[in-house]
Amino acid sequence: MTADDVSVTDAATDAVTDAAPARVRVTAPRPGTGTAAASARPVPGRGLAAPAPTSDVAGVYVRSLIRSQLRLAIVMAVGFAAATALFVLAIALVPALDSTFVFGVPLSWLLLGVGVYPLAITVGGLYLRAATRNEARYRSLTEQE
Amino acid sequence: MNAAIGYTAIAAVALASALIGFYGLRFSRTTSDFYVASRTVRPWWNASAIGGEYLSAASFLGIAGLILLTGSSALWFPIGYTAGYLMLLLFVAAPLRRSGAYTIPDFTEARLESPWARRVTSLLVIVIGWFYIVPQLQGAALTVRITTGLPSWAGSLAVAVIVSVIVAAGGMRSITFVQAFQFWLKLTALAVPAVALLLVIGGGSTAELSPADAFPPAAGPGDLEVYRTVSLMVALLLGTLGLPHVLVRFYTNPDGGAARRTTVIVLVLLSVFYLFPTAFGFIGRAFAPDLAATGEADALILLLPDRLIPGVAGDLLTALVIAGAFAAFLSTSSGLVVSLAGVISQDLLGGSVRGFRIAAIASSFVPLVVALATESTGLAGSVGLVFAFTASTLCPMLILGIWWRGLTARGAIAGMATGAVLSGAAILGGAAISAALPGIRPFLEQPAAWTVPLAVLVTVVVSRADRRGTPRGTDAFLTRLHVPEARVRRGG
Repeated sequence: MTADDVSVTDAATDAVTDAAPARVRVTAPRPGTGTAAASARPVPGRGLAAPAPTSDVAGVYVRSLIRSQLRLAIVMAVGFAAATALFVLAIALVPALDSTFVFGVPLSWLLLGVGVYPLAITVGGLYLRAATRNEARYRSLTEQE
Repeated sequence: MNAAIGYTAIAAVALASALIGFYGLRFSRTTSDFYVASRTVRPWWNASAIGGEYLSAASFLGIAGLILLTGSSALWFPIGYTAGYLMLLLFVAAPLRRSGAYTIPDFTEARLESPWARRVTSLLVIVIGWFYIVPQLQGAALTVRITTGLPSWAGSLAVAVIVSVIVAAGGMRSITFVQAFQFWLKLTALAVPAVALLLVIGGGSTAELSPADAFPPAAGPGDLEVYRTVSLMVALLLGTLGLPHVLVRFYTNPDGGAARRTTVIVLVLLSVFYLFPTAFGFIGRAFAPDLAATGEADALILLLPDRLIPGVAGDLLTALVIAGAFAAFLSTSSGLVVSLAGVISQDLLGGSVRGFRIAAIASSFVPLVVALATESTGLAGSVGLVFAFTASTLCPMLILGIWWRGLTARGAIAGMATGAVLSGAAILGGAAISAALPGIRPFLEQPAAWTVPLAVLVTVVVSRADRRGTPRGTDAFLTRLHVPEARVRRGG
């Protein structure tokens, strides 16, 4: 259990430093790590059945799915923050934008007022596709079982 | 301003909301219907409803007022309000929907298997909801005072009564329809007057200030206060994840994939919406700079059409804006009351339909008392502080609970308590402390940049040190959060 623990947090730090396309780390199933026993338990909560994995191999697939989804989410969030910061920096560093008026409003104000939204929508769309692809890959792996 | 316009517009919106609410009553029969609308809502409906619920007094009136008052630094508010949904999409949307829980406390209990973690979460949800409703009621007070001349308390009282009646009678199924309707009403109510104003201005109205005076570089994007901006963005981006009325909406998606699609549609809807308060703010800086001086900046959107467009056309546009503003107060408050009532009735009243109704009435009247007892200090700003508090408390627990299997109940409780104490102290005691130490003023006025990391740190450290280890069902629960639905039973 503790080994899994570490690898999930590793994936988180990896994703920050290493923005390369997600490479999924797959480890051999280790008998006796308790995953099967733990996952056979019903999920507490409000009477909803749990799709619990039935073998260690299934647990490995699930963990690699979670890792790749987390890595994807962090890469997208960092990418959005970096792109926004660069955009704002660019506006701030060009004083001419303050004195160029379009419909009576400085270009710098207009750019900050409308420029970040298309960026957010684009990142959202990219994430939607990539996250769906990760899930499709998980499905094809589990269907080969 | 002609008071009859105000009365007519407010009455029309209240009536329309109530009618649509009661129309939906036929469908809400069981407890499950009441809470999550049977999970049968389509992404476009759902996204409109989320937009309708989310766009509050702060968005409708507050942003334009703040642009008028402080300049381009106010443009960060709508950016943060929108990009918060990007964070929600990335980290929360699909897993939360798959968790199958009705409310955030349900999620906490299922994930951490701890009634104490549940109680702490419930308490936070109730506090956040109450303090989020307060600015809505203050916005209603302002609108009623400006447009009808009635005393301020009348507006707050009217919204509190209408909301508790609609929610107690109709439940959430009807609220989904009401909210979706409110989004399109709010969008129309800003877009039509904004376009009309632009046409009038294009036709040769003379501004009170020249462009160079209305938009001085000192208030422009070049003059960026880095700490304040970063901290505000942390609060708005992460605070959205934990807003109780927003999260409960995600349970009405049929599955995790639909939750993601809904969120992307929300991003688009919000991006379109926020163009219009921004336009109003820009027009206000050039054509109504006096409102900033008189402290009525938040009323800019209500007053601008009448000032620039004379006659019947101006009256009609004013009526439309008032209707939109009222829709904003009603929809956000009712969304919050639904989620608060859900939490209160499940935790205190046994989860029955009758308990839900009692809780709905209770959860609108506590914020009413607070709203009547306090003065509004700027709508966008006070909502921003609620986001900072949410980002410091519920957000670390949610994100770590979804993505980190090491989270334990003790860690979550310690982290939520840390975030609540630090950000609460900064928000409530900030004015007193910064009077003694002016140097730390920005850190207290925008606390999220340091309170969120500290809350995360405490959560992680305490979870690691927790000798009882992670709850036994953690692996099964995380599997359920992240595995796609359709072929789930064949998984493995």
